[in-house]
Amino acid sequence: MFLRLEGIRKSYGGKDNRVEVLKGIDLTLERGEFCVLLGPSGSGKSTLLNIIGGIDAADSGTITIDRVSIGSMKEKELTRYRREHLGYIFQMYNLIPNLTVRENIEVGAYLSRNPLQTDELLDVLGLREHAGKLPNQLSGGQQQRTSIGRAIVKNPDILLCDEPTGALDYKTSKEILKLIETVNQTYGNTVIMVTHNSEIRHMADRIVLLHDGQLRDNTLNPKKVPVEELEW
Amino acid sequence: MKNPLRKRYLRELRADPGKYLVIFLLMILSIGEISGFLVCDESMIGAYNESFEKYNIEDGNFTTESELKARQIKAIEAAGVSVFPLIFTDRPMANGTTVRFFSMRDQVDLPCLMQGELPDAADEIAIDRMYADNNKLKVGDTLNLQDGDALNPQDADARALQDETGDGVFRISGLVSLSDYSALFENNNDTMFDAKQFGVAVISPEAFQQFDRDFLTWRYAWKYDTPPVNETDENDRAEEFVKTLTRTTDLTGFLPRYQNQAIMFTGEDMGSDRAMMTVFLYIVIVIIAFVFAVTISNTIVSEAAVIGTLRATGFTRRELIRHYMTLPVMVTLLSAAIGNVFGYTVMKDINASLYYGSYSLPTYVTRWSGEAFLETTVVPLALMAVITWWVLHRRLKLSPLQFLRRDLRRNKSRRAFPLSKRIPFFTRFRLRIAAQNRNNYIVLAIGILFANFLLLFGLMFPNVLHNYMDALPGNMFCSYQYVLQLPAGALDEDRKTESFLKMMLFMRAVETDNPDAEKFSAYSLRTVADQEHPFQEEELLIYGVEESGRYIHQEIHPGEVYVSRAYAEKWMLHAGSSITLKEPYEDKTYTFTVTGIYPYDGALAVFMERENMNTVFDLGAGTFSGYFSATEITDIDEKYIGQKIDFDALSKVSRQLMISMGSMMDIVDVFAVIMFMILIYLMSKMIIEKNAASISMAKILGYRNSEIARLYVMVTSLLVILFLAVTIPVESVALQWVFRLILRTEMTGWIPFVISGSVYRNALLTGIGTYVAVALLEYRRIGKIPMDEVLKNVE
Repeated sequence: MFLRLEGIRKSYGGKDNRVEVLKGIDLTLERGEFCVLLGPSGSGKSTLLNIIGGIDAADSGTITIDRVSIGSMKEKELTRYRREHLGYIFQMYNLIPNLTVRENIEVGAYLSRNPLQTDELLDVLGLREHAGKLPNQLSGGQQQRTSIGRAIVKNPDILLCDEPTGALDYKTSKEILKLIETVNQTYGNTVIMVTHNSEIRHMADRIVLLHDGQLRDNTLNPKKVPVEELEW
Repeated sequence: MKNPLRKRYLRELRADPGKYLVIFLLMILSIGEISGFLVCDESMIGAYNESFEKYNIEDGNFTTESELKARQIKAIEAAGVSVFPLIFTDRPMANGTTVRFFSMRDQVDLPCLMQGELPDAADEIAIDRMYADNNKLKVGDTLNLQDGDALNPQDADARALQDETGDGVFRISGLVSLSDYSALFENNNDTMFDAKQFGVAVISPEAFQQFDRDFLTWRYAWKYDTPPVNETDENDRAEEFVKTLTRTTDLTGFLPRYQNQAIMFTGEDMGSDRAMMTVFLYIVIVIIAFVFAVTISNTIVSEAAVIGTLRATGFTRRELIRHYMTLPVMVTLLSAAIGNVFGYTVMKDINASLYYGSYSLPTYVTRWSGEAFLETTVVPLALMAVITWWVLHRRLKLSPLQFLRRDLRRNKSRRAFPLSKRIPFFTRFRLRIAAQNRNNYIVLAIGILFANFLLLFGLMFPNVLHNYMDALPGNMFCSYQYVLQLPAGALDEDRKTESFLKMMLFMRAVETDNPDAEKFSAYSLRTVADQEHPFQEEELLIYGVEESGRYIHQEIHPGEVYVSRAYAEKWMLHAGSSITLKEPYEDKTYTFTVTGIYPYDGALAVFMERENMNTVFDLGAGTFSGYFSATEITDIDEKYIGQKIDFDALSKVSRQLMISMGSMMDIVDVFAVIMFMILIYLMSKMIIEKNAASISMAKILGYRNSEIARLYVMVTSLLVILFLAVTIPVESVALQWVFRLILRTEMTGWIPFVISGSVYRNALLTGIGTYVAVALLEYRRIGKIPMDEVLKNVE
């Protein structure tokens, strides 16, 4: 097992208004697996992603990645863990406004001991001709591609994607999904993608369905569909 | 791989040149001024200290009734000294001033040539540089004697010197600084020097011969063959030396170097304002650091999601702190570098001109000052680094998730404070804006407090001096006070009979027929600083006055001690206070209990009943030391008058302060206005930028620019006026405290703190006027905010 979650629980609020967001999640993933976390709003999928990413802490339960438990890590260790093993992609691209496309990607490369070649990656991302542009000169899709570049340039073990197509139109969304699929296939990263678009599940190796903080379904996808064939 | 985030710094600067330019400007000006001041101060003090050896400054001087004979000089020099003639004549000039003419010196108290040439021909003169500046004289100009009375009618050169009216005319060949007149005290007893009314000059020995001997003052300088080892030794040797002198000649004056104000005053006064200037710089840096802190806070708010992403991706908090700290620290470093260059070049000269406006100092060589570097570069950098680090450390403590969610409040309560619906909508809106931007407004309030403090200080200083001068005639208890002077060495314990005779002659010579004259006794003592009063020690006069005299309108009975209001205010005395005074050069002290305060602001003084005082100080029954008079006393030989205290003498302190500090105050005013403008500009700019999205949305909704300005600019306007109105009374109290502290700890004498209402009005109007200029810029800025600002998808 590459990633193992056992009994993950998480709640927010005080005594009077306590809301249990995750109610004991167990999950395992293999290295290089493409996992889609599905579920309606408030089901706890983003919280689960953040706990895996080490930017939120579970109240109880254990998380083991590559035989290393991250639940007991101090803040500094968690930062190092994220630095060395994780890549993040968010719905909002969160690019640095006064750095160019290339430089935004280099921000990710800086964190890695063995980063991917930025030029090569720019080709993969289809951003070669936009490398010198600032984020405000790009379309939404181009900005998201840049943020993907920033996340994968350090060749992370796990790529965490939180609604990466949530702010994009259909065509651009498919381009982005295609890119994530390519990255997964080319570099072999484990991908965990949160989405509320159930059609996207067809491109995943594993489909995890969350509902009201509980794991409703966790199945391997026997008929993986290429992104080009997805329709919604 | 280098951190790509570093590429942001230059772009950040380019993206907001206005903000950084004004911060640069403010820092460069502050650092430049202080660096210039410190470098100049150190160089000047160095030049002054070196001048003792370089120009062979005397160990003291004495004045005799007549010219010393060679055998007398030989006898005096047998006491282990070398004697040098320093003969002079004080001449009234056609321009209403007095110039002290010396023959060219070549052995002791050498002149430093500042400009032009030393005098060679009989009609050439080299005058003191500061006297020349104050009287607008330059090399090549002529300087006329008021009359030719002192010129020797037998001397051919003197006749040639006289113009058609018979007055002497000199051509200024050069400007000099005489090493024994760095402070131009005409008489050593003067409370302050007046470099406009009095100057010194050297002329060639041939030219000096032109003066009639009857007009000459026979002064001689001495140098010990072996220099004294310390102050006590110097004091002891001077006391011994005066005995040798009195046995050899008739002295009319004796002044060891350590008592000579013309030589020592400058050294004691220089460097006293270093601490004040340095503190001023630190306050500016702290304010700028907080400006940066607010800027950083705003950046953190606007870049919250980016910071969250970077933290989520693996950037450490330390890396981000370093990143956001770099720009303020770099700006400070660059400002310090440019400021120091500016300080060592332009500001050093400006500060030097201030020194040259106060003292007649020799030329100086700029010295590299390690202390200036520490105070203008290392400390500001450290201050900036510590303050920005502290702010960033606190702000970046939040978790990556909080940044991603833009949940940046450390305090979780997010509730808006309740506002009644009865309050008009625009007012409620403005109150919300004020609350939302409270950090900016707090920094603005602190900035206004400080800038206004500087402005008020600059406006207040001349005003206080003017008020003091205006009120002085009414404060004087008589128009003239004459303190008599016993010829030096007249009292010699070893030669009692001779001393007694001299004393009798003196008592006869100082009687006056002026009906306005009223005798008083006087005794000079020195104040004593203690833990409770860590003030500048200074000499004051104890007056022994008639019990019910004409001039002191207070019945003073034997045993009672009244102190002047100036003394009471400076030393915080009241009836019942105990005062301790000491003999200037001895350890003997006197302690008195204050009976009451006498309303006299002219000087620090103590009043006692005359005979009681004569007893206390063992002066002898019936003894007196001077006269109070409503009219000038003209029938006493000037050589017996040690000090004449009239309006001119009492106003010397304020006049000299006006000359030496006037231009400094102008600089302070200009600096205050610049600082005021910069702070208001920066803060209101930040507020507008912080609210760009809301302003953009308001425009989309259909609000006009003028309506938006009424919301955003009006809040700042009202708060600026409020801050001004609130800070001025606070500052008035603080200024009074600072002013008194400076007088108490740095200066001798006392000036009552009286400010005209016009100073406050001018400060308020300057503040509002400055703000109006900034508000117009802000109005323009609002007009420039695009409507799609709010719709932008990027950070």
